[in-house]
Amino acid sequence: MKRKRRILMLAGLLWLFAAGSSSGDGGADPVPYAFSVGFGEKVVLAQASAASEEGEIEAVSQEGILPDPLEPINRAFFVFNDRLYFWVLKPVARGYGFVLPEKVRVGIGSFFRNLAFPVRFVNCLFQGKLEGASEEFGSFLLNSIAGMGGLFDIAGDAGVKKYDEDLDQSLGTFGFGPGFYINWPFLGPSTLRGTFGSVGDGFLDPVNYLDSTGTALAVESVNVVNRTSFVIGEYESLKRAALDPYSALKDAYYQNRLKKIRE
Amino acid sequence: MGKRFPFLWLAGVLVLAVLPWSAFAGAPTEQLKQTTDKVISILTDPDLKGPSNAEKRRALIRKIADERFDWNEMSRRALGHHWKKLNEEEKKTFVKLFSQLLDRTYMEKVEDYSGEKATYTGETIDENYAIVEMKVLTSKNVEIPVVNKLKKKGEDWMIYDVAVEGVSFVNNYRTQFNSLLSKSSVSELLAKLREKVSEK
Repeated sequence: MKRKRRILMLAGLLWLFAAGSSSGDGGADPVPYAFSVGFGEKVVLAQASAASEEGEIEAVSQEGILPDPLEPINRAFFVFNDRLYFWVLKPVARGYGFVLPEKVRVGIGSFFRNLAFPVRFVNCLFQGKLEGASEEFGSFLLNSIAGMGGLFDIAGDAGVKKYDEDLDQSLGTFGFGPGFYINWPFLGPSTLRGTFGSVGDGFLDPVNYLDSTGTALAVESVNVVNRTSFVIGEYESLKRAALDPYSALKDAYYQNRLKKIRE
Repeated sequence: MGKRFPFLWLAGVLVLAVLPWSAFAGAPTEQLKQTTDKVISILTDPDLKGPSNAEKRRALIRKIADERFDWNEMSRRALGHHWKKLNEEEKKTFVKLFSQLLDRTYMEKVEDYSGEKATYTGETIDENYAIVEMKVLTSKNVEIPVVNKLKKKGEDWMIYDVAVEGVSFVNNYRTQFNSLLSKSSVSELLAKLREKVSEK
């Protein structure tokens, strides 16, 4: 049980979905993406233009709608996470960012990313992305040896593409639907599939094999605070632009997931 | 003469290869690029720098944005099937407030401009609709994929949706409006929108 709880902590990265999505995942091959967008869009556009004749535009696609049967509980946890961010995480990350120079924080981020290499490697293989698997493997070797245990992202600086694959994306690629939306306390936006994915990925993350739960939590907290120090302001601007921040965050999380699965 | 032809052909190929891709981009990309360049030139204009020029700067950018964004189309799509529930007066009010909100969000994003570079990576045209893909490279060397959706109006390609990292503005607001309108009335939504826009 202890391990399970520790592993779930990992889904905390999901909370910082914005961080994850903008922290330099170069994305997959842009060409197939362009095609997939263009192709799917064609049908949708035709429907939309036909519908607009009658002054009515239906929802773009069923795919974009995520069921939310737990909405009342999810909304309660949204308020909880919101306060946690403004009262605890943000001040801590601010102080941390003030004390540690950006270069050091970038190094710490690279270290954690390098450590979680097995997650990306295995999920590249799951999705048949052999090129991704080999590039991640090469980056891991180079950064671990020449980059002092991953503190320096030598491969990334040289322009090697990053493949931020995870089990949620693999399951999505296999054809599993997301189930429904779950907004976890502490961990933030996820889905049923995403939760399974995070637990599964947890088995591949070395942090979870530290000798005590306390140590693992401490290490994971550093990771979360370090990540947050780079994205202060992003959640704030999402909230500022939103009329219903809960729905805005849910939708942003899910649309970003859909894109990552498409890639 | 015969000997010269291969040389000319090769020269032609070289010229084509050297020309930037944008030289071949279609009208949607061209027009989008013009708008982006105009906004950047305002943001980098030394005569318009500083907080004292903020109002002036915003007015200029707003004017450029109005020429490229189709606020009406954006509003219709964001409201989806709720659009027809609004009467003409409410539609007008909604478009005005929603455009002010989007405008503010856009403005606050571009105000932070610090030399980010945009590269145009793809264009798909389907009659009167187009998708222009670009990548914005931030000063921290992070690449952000941005997809613009445009609709043709006369000779102009007008933006009706922007997706950043796969998150489309229109879809995001549609989720919010759906949720709000399932619990409250149109006039309550308009009041909420008005309140949001007036937030400092």
